Amino acid sequence: MADVASTRPAILIEGLTKRYGSGGAAVDALKGVDMTVWPGEVVGLIGPSGSGKTTLLKCLGAVIEPTAGRFTLGGEMIFDGGWKTGDLRALRRDRIGFVFQAPYLIPFLDATDNVALLPMLAGVPNPQARATALEMLTALDVQHRAQARIAELSGGEQQRVAIARALANKPPIILADEPTAPLDSERALTVVKILNRLAQEFQTAIIVVTHDEKIIPTFKRIYHIRDGKTYEEAGEGRAI
Amino acid sequence: MINLARRDIAHHLKSYLLTGLGLGLLIGVTLTMAGVYRGMVDDAKVLLRAVDADVWVVQQDTLGPFAEPSSVPDDLYRALLGLPGVTQAGNVAYLTMQVSHAGKSQRVMVAGFEPGKPGGPAFLVAGRPIARAHYEAVADAKTGLRVGDVVRIRRNDYTVVGLTRRMVSSNGDPMLFIPLKDAQEAQFLKDNDAIVEDRQRLAANPAINRPGQPGVLDAVQAIQTSSHKVNAVLLRLQPGVDARAVAGTIARWQRFTAYTRDDMEEILVAKLIATAAKQIGLFLLILAVVSAAIVAFIIYTMTLGKIKEIAVLKLIGTRNRTIAAMIMQEALGLGVIGFFVGKFAATLWAPAFPKYVLLETGDAARAFVLTLVVCALASVLAIRAALKIDPAEAIGG
Repeated sequence: MADVASTRPAILIEGLTKRYGSGGAAVDALKGVDMTVWPGEVVGLIGPSGSGKTTLLKCLGAVIEPTAGRFTLGGEMIFDGGWKTGDLRALRRDRIGFVFQAPYLIPFLDATDNVALLPMLAGVPNPQARATALEMLTALDVQHRAQARIAELSGGEQQRVAIARALANKPPIILADEPTAPLDSERALTVVKILNRLAQEFQTAIIVVTHDEKIIPTFKRIYHIRDGKTYEEAGEGRAI
Repeated sequence: MINLARRDIAHHLKSYLLTGLGLGLLIGVTLTMAGVYRGMVDDAKVLLRAVDADVWVVQQDTLGPFAEPSSVPDDLYRALLGLPGVTQAGNVAYLTMQVSHAGKSQRVMVAGFEPGKPGGPAFLVAGRPIARAHYEAVADAKTGLRVGDVVRIRRNDYTVVGLTRRMVSSNGDPMLFIPLKDAQEAQFLKDNDAIVEDRQRLAANPAINRPGQPGVLDAVQAIQTSSHKVNAVLLRLQPGVDARAVAGTIARWQRFTAYTRDDMEEILVAKLIATAAKQIGLFLLILAVVSAAIVAFIIYTMTLGKIKEIAVLKLIGTRNRTIAAMIMQEALGLGVIGFFVGKFAATLWAPAFPKYVLLETGDAARAFVLTLVVCALASVLAIRAALKIDPAEAIGG
């Protein structure tokens, strides 16, 4: 549900469609998706394979352009024809955080620099970016591994660093693609708790794509996606 | 901003250094080939520099003793000394042959000269100059001979009395200086059986062995077993005298051909080693292309190994130029490592080559620039591949 201070949704999607190919070979991956996510909210996105989850995530991540429909981010219309490649790159860097099934951390950077890279890319001076990174690592309780190489971190620690990276530029939305898939139940629930806490703390809207039965009951709202369409399932009492 | 290339290199330091080492050995071979060419040119010029002659007088319409057989009378020098501006004239005879020492045979260029006249070794690094009229020698240090060693040339033994250095023929064979008369004898000396056979043949010839005229046969036999020919006459001129004008005067006699030192250099470099130079040039070109292909392949493979990381970097907003710079810097880094390894390797193994390998600083500087250019160009393929990576690949596998 919307935060009382929020007057407009972090993400608003109306009638979003995405068609791959053309003519007889065209495939409609999204057939009019509607979705609203408010700041500070963690929303689940669930659906079988081939349902359009990844396509929706790519549209939300501003890496592919939808064929039709309306996508606003914090009230600003995205893909309205005026967006150039550089603008979309800056949008992804400054306003969208990504968390993947595998952490996909840069193996040749340590934990701090993996997180600090985002603010650095945004032009923040290195010392300041590293201070921000340490702040995020502390928020995720992995500050003691700040100087560790990625290969030296456990799976859970890597995922926390990945979440810290997604938060580094304090984006209004985070897209999490199966973030708990490689984790055991305990660690998976810990990650979800962290996401909920961070959503509240930073007023970040988080969309979690998942198949993970363990964490599905933790979402207050869930969007089911099937055959390119979304169906909202509100669930009072879903809170952790 | 973090230097991504430096971090990536540090992360894969061992494999990166090994790759640089491999590339370096290839660059070392390339540098060595260039050194072999430079060595050939230097070998061709070193003798000319050492004898310090201003004009070479050789047989008419020949290119001189190093390129073609040349034979001129050994008393020609007297006439040449009479030319205005000529201060010294010396006969020389050159013959490439196998000589033996301590049971081992080796190829040398024997140079016959007249002590005190042009054609001898420019300097000695050990021992003394040739002082006796016969059977003394000055050897290039590359022969491995030492002062006091005895070397056999044809049927005679020569004592090495002095050593010189960097005195080699245009083929790179070390030189062995001996008195001119000995060289002339060695050049024309036949074995005993051949001499006996020739004498018998002449004695059986009624036109030569006439009754009542025994002196004719003796005279003919004496002519056949001695030589009054040399390969060239070297002239030194007074300071300020135009060598080309003197050479022109000699050429106008129409009996001999005369070359200035520049002409001889041109003959040696442009004619004698031209084919070898082309051969080496082509080999160098192939090596450069192979090196470029290997660098391109290495950088391309390194980049393909980072597809997911590059996709993530692009997804989180890294500029294309930052990614391109990372790949370019890694390629240039390989080039720098490769160059210094190659230079070190070439310097290390060059003395082991039987022929002189001259590694010039200018060549090294050019090779360094070329290596960086090749690496930069080779990285273009990888950069193109990296820039084509779709950031969407980071999402959903």
